Amino acid sequence: MGLLTILTKMKQKERELRLLMLGLDNAGKTTILKKFNGEDVSTISPTLGFNIKTLEHKGFKLNIWDVGGQKSLRSYWRNYFESTDGLVWVVDSADRLRLQDCKDELSALLREERLAGATLLVFANKQDLPGSLSKEAIREALALDELKSHHWCIIGCSAITGENLLAGMDWLLDDIGARIFTAD
Amino acid sequence: MLGYVWQWVYTSYLRYWLKWLIRQVTGKCELQRICSRYRPGATRTTSAEYSLRSSKSRVLRGALESSQDKLQQCVAEIMKEKNVEPQKDPLFKESLHTCLLQITGYSSLYMSVEDLRKQVFSSENGGHEAMILKLWDLLMPNVKLESRLTKQWGDIGFQGDDPKTDFRGMGMLGLVNLLFFSENYPKEAQHVLSHANHPKLGYSYAIVGINLTEMAYSLLKSGALKAHFYNTVKGAPELQHFHQLYCYLAYEFDKFWLLEEPESIMQFNQYREKFHNVVKTHLQEPDVSLTLTLSSKNERK
Repeated sequence: MGLLTILTKMKQKERELRLLMLGLDNAGKTTILKKFNGEDVSTISPTLGFNIKTLEHKGFKLNIWDVGGQKSLRSYWRNYFESTDGLVWVVDSADRLRLQDCKDELSALLREERLAGATLLVFANKQDLPGSLSKEAIREALALDELKSHHWCIIGCSAITGENLLAGMDWLLDDIGARIFTAD
Repeated sequence: MLGYVWQWVYTSYLRYWLKWLIRQVTGKCELQRICSRYRPGATRTTSAEYSLRSSKSRVLRGALESSQDKLQQCVAEIMKEKNVEPQKDPLFKESLHTCLLQITGYSSLYMSVEDLRKQVFSSENGGHEAMILKLWDLLMPNVKLESRLTKQWGDIGFQGDDPKTDFRGMGMLGLVNLLFFSENYPKEAQHVLSHANHPKLGYSYAIVGINLTEMAYSLLKSGALKAHFYNTVKGAPELQHFHQLYCYLAYEFDKFWLLEEPESIMQFNQYREKFHNVVKTHLQEPDVSLTLTLSSKNERK
């Protein structure tokens, strides 16, 4: 399916949501996307540019954008902000060394005007790895409790086993649904 | 629908009657006819593979799964089963053996590649560490790596301070491919790296390389590389032949990228797909041979 087809389709139907998945490189964004889509997650290579997938879940049509997280690509993130309903921030819970980096990038995103209306879901990924930080530790490290500008939730998950991915997505869709489809 | 019915009738009945009829007329079985009609290469081996796979005889089908040291024995059994007299068709034995070497070799190549892919890059493994440092030295002979964890890795296209995390799904296969290209085609690898560092058309050399390893791997897994290996390797293909194919992809992708002049690296997946389709189209040609041909300017003496 070409990019144009996807974009045209987006306009056609209501109850379509645009989700933007961001995070540092090696956080597991592509793995989460592929796991959702039921694809093999054992042969993933680093993302250059972006991936997009259209999925159906709970009666919503989800357009999920997964944009590469390496430093040189982060300046391109802003090209994907427009009309984002939900921001999925993926954290490698085992990457203690870059937690500050992770916090700084997230804070910068949350100051973006074009993301002001988006619900934030934080995936504390890689909970299956020994030595990974708990979701409470990540919540503290990212100072989420100070966040007043966005609806947010943090979920500990593992993209490899699939644990809690659906729980996170369900929360995100409920929150967005309550916000924008109340007229239905 | 009619096509399916015809296909089913053909493969279930007609093909056997036809084969039997031709056998009576020519006195040769299908495998003999294939081996004598075609030159060694993809057409011959692919036809032999199809013939063996759709055979009713367990001996013939079993040969496809045989280990390489038992192939001579398999050939003898097939000749006995099919009543092939060696005096009447002296070349058959050798031809069929070559076909079987190529066919079973492809499956065992996939297994070796898969083993290497499943090996996780580990900083505790001295061998792995030596390889990553060697890759740096080959690509950047005039620049010293300041420490093991450094932003410098970005200069050869890794994402962060430690290349380790970039190998993820492709494991050691990704590193061995990168290293093979630099070791065997040092000038070309540096040439490609210089393009990758172009201010406008640049791309991340190492992680594009890992993405191309993934392309080579999935082509191998799907069977799409059969014709290429049947044409270019006389016997069973080995790991080095897979690495050679990676070199072709790395070199050709660079040319393709520069020619297409994408707007930015964000378009990578779109152009990757386009390049993938070009490669797949080539692979459908019966005489395909994806070998790195060096332009005379870069030719090594």
